[in-house]
Amino acid sequence: MVRKLASRMLWVGLAAAFAASAAACGGAAVPQETLTAAQASAKGAEVGGANEDPKAQLHLKLANEQIEKAKKLIEDGKNEEAARLVDRAQADADLALALAEQGKALKDAKDADEQLGKLKKKLNQ
Amino acid sequence: MLRVTTSLSCLFLLSIAACGATLPPPELVDARKAYEHASKGMSAQLAPAQLDTAKQALDKAEKSFEDEGVDPPTPDLAYIAQRKAQIAEAAASKLAAERDAEKANKMFKEAQLEGFDKVKGELNKERQAGEKTKAELENEKKALGVEKVARAEAERKAAAAMASLAEVAKVKEEARGMVITLSGAVLFATGKYDLLPIARDKLDEVAKALIDQGYKSMLVEGHTDSKGKASDNDTLSLKRAEAVRTYLVSRGIPSDKIRASGLGSSRSVADNGSPDGRANNRRVEIVVEPLK
Repeated sequence: MVRKLASRMLWVGLAAAFAASAAACGGAAVPQETLTAAQASAKGAEVGGANEDPKAQLHLKLANEQIEKAKKLIEDGKNEEAARLVDRAQADADLALALAEQGKALKDAKDADEQLGKLKKKLNQ
Repeated sequence: MLRVTTSLSCLFLLSIAACGATLPPPELVDARKAYEHASKGMSAQLAPAQLDTAKQALDKAEKSFEDEGVDPPTPDLAYIAQRKAQIAEAAASKLAAERDAEKANKMFKEAQLEGFDKVKGELNKERQAGEKTKAELENEKKALGVEKVARAEAERKAAAAMASLAEVAKVKEEARGMVITLSGAVLFATGKYDLLPIARDKLDEVAKALIDQGYKSMLVEGHTDSKGKASDNDTLSLKRAEAVRTYLVSRGIPSDKIRASGLGSSRSVADNGSPDGRANNRRVEIVVEPLK
């Protein structure tokens, strides 16, 4: 009797857990807002010169790939998985922009240093 | 029924076991490394806000790993945390580079100003040097001009002197110098050695011309014709030469630059057999050694 009850409780528990997980999966909303934000960030990184810096370009590519993948997952109704990919894409897009800006700043610093060096050389002649 | 329950229980147990023994997913390993790298770099000073965001993202991933193990969303959260750490590093590096560029640009401007001053100084120096050269040239020109004018003047004077000399005496260039021949008849009465008044006028002209023209030294030679005793002629010729010398010295020719000698009739220039010849032989010659 006791054993039967325990077995039933386990069943109920497992069923509940399964139901909850099913609900989480199928019932997750389309991550439209974060997807739009990630797309905007990727575009921003591109405009910010991400394609001119190899490292930035790599992360922009990752962001765009993940965005495309997320879109397909949304089409397939796999919204939760899509949402996680969109979050990854957002992080890659942000990193792409940061790397592009870093690359530009480093180049500017190098240029400024070279200009200074040239001028000094000229002055010392 | 029992079999289903058992199998499900097994699955559950299996999953628990997997959880407990689980190594962190590679994403989390990477995220930890990235954060550690960022926190040891410039980010703490230059990008503290971004580094803090990265820390929070890593904490979230760690919490997920504790709670969920390697299952989603742990790898995703770790993936995001790694990128946040990289963003912090990039931001710090960007800021540092911007500061470097700013510094270099400032130094560039300073160097430019310095260079401008230097170039200005050099230009000034060059200009001054140029002006100096110009002034020197001007002076040289002037000096040259003065010299030229002086030389022209001297030449003109000398020519004028020669011309005036030619009016009063016969002038010819010989190997021993310029020879000015004055006729004895103009200078002295027969047998005398006092200068005639007209002779003084002529000698004034000669003295003036010689002083104008310049000379090194001169010799006054007295000559006679061959009439009479040679010794008398020698004495007379010397006395006459002395008289001319004395007069020229009185007209400004320094006495140490003029000598006198009496040659008598030893250097006749014409035939002593005719009156004209003898007249030509009676003469005083002033031999001028010109300035070299």
